[in-house]
Amino acid sequence: MFKKIDLSIITAVGALSLLGVMMIYSTAGSALMARQIVWLVFSVFVALVFSRISPRIWANLTPLIYLASIFLIFIILLKSDVYPKRWIRLGEFSIQPSEFAKFATVLMLANYLATKKKLQSFSDMLAPIVIAGLPALLIFVEPDLGAAQIFLPILIVMSYWAGMSGLKILILFSPIISAAASFSIYVWAIYMVLLLIVLYFRKQLTDLIYGLVSNSLVGLIMPLVWNSLKVYQQKRIVSFFSPWVDPQGMSWQIIQSKIAIGSGRFFGKGFLSGTQKKLEFLPERHTDFIFSCLGEEFGLIGIIIVIAIYGYLTYRLLVLAKETRNRFSGIFVSGVMTWIGYQTFVNLGVTMGLLPVTGVPLPFISYGGSALLSCFMAIGVCLSVSRTKMAY
Amino acid sequence: MDEKLIKFKIIRNVVVLLAAVIIIWSIKLQVFEGKKYSRLSEKNRIRMKYVAAPRGRIFDRNGVEIANTRPGFYVSVVRAAIDSTTLERLSSILDTDGATIIEKSKIEKNPYNPVKIAHDISYEQLSLIEERIDVLSGVEVGVEPLRNYPYGELLFHLIGYVGEITDRELESDKTYSIGDYIGKMGLEEYYEGMLKGIRGVEYVEVDARGKEVGKITEKRSIPPTAGEDLLTTVDISLSESVAVYLEDYEKAACVCLNPQSGEILVLYSKPGFDPNLFTHGIQKLEWDILHKDPNAPMYNRAIMSCYPCGSTFKPFVALAALDSKLINEKQRFDWCAGEYRLGRRIFKCWKKHGSLDLHGAIVHSCDIYFYQLGRFIGIDTLFDRASRIGFGKKTGIDLPNEKQGLLPDRKWFEARYGSNWTTGHIFNLSIGQGDLLVTPLQLACAYTLFANKGKIPIPHVIEKPDTTYSTKDVSSEAIDIVKEALAGVVARGTGTLARVPNVEVCGKTGTSQNPHGEDHSLFVGYAPAADPVILVCLIAENAGHGASVAAPITGKIIKSYLNSKRQHEIAAVLQQGTSVQED
Repeated sequence: MFKKIDLSIITAVGALSLLGVMMIYSTAGSALMARQIVWLVFSVFVALVFSRISPRIWANLTPLIYLASIFLIFIILLKSDVYPKRWIRLGEFSIQPSEFAKFATVLMLANYLATKKKLQSFSDMLAPIVIAGLPALLIFVEPDLGAAQIFLPILIVMSYWAGMSGLKILILFSPIISAAASFSIYVWAIYMVLLLIVLYFRKQLTDLIYGLVSNSLVGLIMPLVWNSLKVYQQKRIVSFFSPWVDPQGMSWQIIQSKIAIGSGRFFGKGFLSGTQKKLEFLPERHTDFIFSCLGEEFGLIGIIIVIAIYGYLTYRLLVLAKETRNRFSGIFVSGVMTWIGYQTFVNLGVTMGLLPVTGVPLPFISYGGSALLSCFMAIGVCLSVSRTKMAY
Repeated sequence: MDEKLIKFKIIRNVVVLLAAVIIIWSIKLQVFEGKKYSRLSEKNRIRMKYVAAPRGRIFDRNGVEIANTRPGFYVSVVRAAIDSTTLERLSSILDTDGATIIEKSKIEKNPYNPVKIAHDISYEQLSLIEERIDVLSGVEVGVEPLRNYPYGELLFHLIGYVGEITDRELESDKTYSIGDYIGKMGLEEYYEGMLKGIRGVEYVEVDARGKEVGKITEKRSIPPTAGEDLLTTVDISLSESVAVYLEDYEKAACVCLNPQSGEILVLYSKPGFDPNLFTHGIQKLEWDILHKDPNAPMYNRAIMSCYPCGSTFKPFVALAALDSKLINEKQRFDWCAGEYRLGRRIFKCWKKHGSLDLHGAIVHSCDIYFYQLGRFIGIDTLFDRASRIGFGKKTGIDLPNEKQGLLPDRKWFEARYGSNWTTGHIFNLSIGQGDLLVTPLQLACAYTLFANKGKIPIPHVIEKPDTTYSTKDVSSEAIDIVKEALAGVVARGTGTLARVPNVEVCGKTGTSQNPHGEDHSLFVGYAPAADPVILVCLIAENAGHGASVAAPITGKIIKSYLNSKRQHEIAAVLQQGTSVQED
């Protein structure tokens, strides 16, 4: 049964999941660990089932899955009376539709991009932007900035893998850079000059017009958008730029997380011995900030090992995407790779104070059933791909 | 396929780059800044806590505790960890408001350090807090040593009280910590250095909410050193008697001391205040009332109130005259017809005395004799001798805020009244009125001159093995003459009400006129005349004549002291006797 299945992916995911169970025990105790184990067993079962279903069937099922996941988010947006509107309660467990939307969107993007043999103009990108943008927007409204942001890198890498040129994608998404640069008029001006140079040498009229118009518009509208952001979202961005200003507010998390990781030093304080975690200085220590505890208890050695496993998993997925002959399968795997890789990078960056605080779980390790199940579903499909990678 | 390989390589390189960024960043955090973060993590976790030292106890001369410590419960908060619901609950338990709690907690700059916000809470409040301690985030209760005064108001002015240290005191002395008690008056203030002890240090592990989770074993704690005990010369039972004798008078002061050693037996001032109330942390309102009370309960009248001492000053005028050899005891002046005319002014005497010599003038306290005596010897001689005896100077007692009173001299009169100052001012000064100001303690010390054959001991409240004297260089013949007259005052003069059966008492009455109302009644006396063991200086404000009020009370005090002294001696002899028998 496992003959053709990619064992390296299974090994990496298994190692990370077990490490996750350990860390949840360390940070949240045996009760939550037990729940996580229940989720893990279920997820493994689901992944095994998914790995038996051939990619062709997945391709056919895709629109249904996608619509279902969008529908789920709609339901919580309309029905949930808890703020933020992120969870649906199902008896003992509550599920987070945004996590499943990631899986569904990757499937849907792969399905659409696989049908397009050539991706060249901006108009070819219109449908993919809508496919990724719709769930992103709905999740952003929940609000869950952390989950919503994932869709952008997924969209970029998948369309890149499907055939879009890198420069074209850069120009397409350049308004986002323009938005980021618009915080300072000088930075924005320098950016616009650089953009103009690029556009000039590209010598394409549509690109030039699009680039100029969109970037200018975004740069001017951005300040208005900033004001429409939730206060806590603004605070998160602000606190990233000046983390020591307000040690009790948002940046408290970053400072305490950095203290936890830094004080782990080379060998760590030892499993179950993290004082930052034990004395509850770390907020969200079994979910988004679980990596801080890992760094505190296992030190630099532990961090390097964990990053090596994630790096290896990402690499193996990339290799799988390259080796797969089926176009849908390849694009799908590239999406899963981006999803897991990007989410890992953002989570690690946040806990280390390298990136602004956005609530992103660490794949396979953070406590949370939906995220775990959703990742395992994706891995299950990837295993199905690896089983059939020589078929067109 | 070629394009796919390029894209594969690009993505692979991006992945490697991002992984490298993360690893480099964690090397920065854990290796290069590891020490800093370890320190921060320890600082997070370990809190250094000062442990208050129990204050030294204070004993009276017979070993009775007059100030000690008892355990009391306090409430402290960690400002950073406290939330609005906690604040609401806590303020309702402590019967205060949230703003006050926050205000109090702001004395500590670091919001992660606990600050005591309430002392000596009741058992009911304690149990209410303990019940809810899990939901009251950032709130802690603990035990601390609290000051206790078993005799309350009786010894308030002598012992003083302790109160919470102020910001300014905290800044000037780093050996104190926030929430410490510090001596604010009396012995507590004067001997603060001895009484306070040395605070201990404890290291505790705390969680993110500032809640203590346990002791730290890797850092050794230093236990506090208790303050030194103070052994005083105060006689608590005599103090109680004095308070009883003065029950009927609203404002009064009494100094009793051993004239030979300067040991203070009683230093009583009325009205007073129960110092135990300060330990609870007195409310601002109560404090204001206390300070605005026209009877000034915070004021130690025995060493801080300055009165014109009336006729009790006359012996010193006589002494000045005798010592300067300007007169002898046989000296007579114009006879007393109840009044004396000086220019257009008439100076009165309280009685028609007829012709008196010096002895008779003191015994019967004749004003007219002393007007003339004062004028005869002149201001310079009077000032010289009186200031030598200690008028207008601090006695040097071991208590804070002693006042020095006022003994006017020629210069002072000139500065005050210009060229208008007249013989009338000398007249008034000669009978202890007018501009003269004396504290009861000062007066008591001045009289030790007669009781102690020309030597004035420096008064002290703390037991000392030997006494320091200031010898006054006054002729002993002069002292003997005045002393004899002081015995006459009690035997057959104005002070007969101070008589004690079988004991020769010396003394002098005084009636101090004052612009605020009825005369103050004064008496200074000592006994037994031959070998004095107690000297009493008593003033009852607005009580009337010295002869009718202060004199009889002084007699009672002397009697009570001599009785109890005899009983102590008998008891001691008996005890010795029994122990001899046992041998």
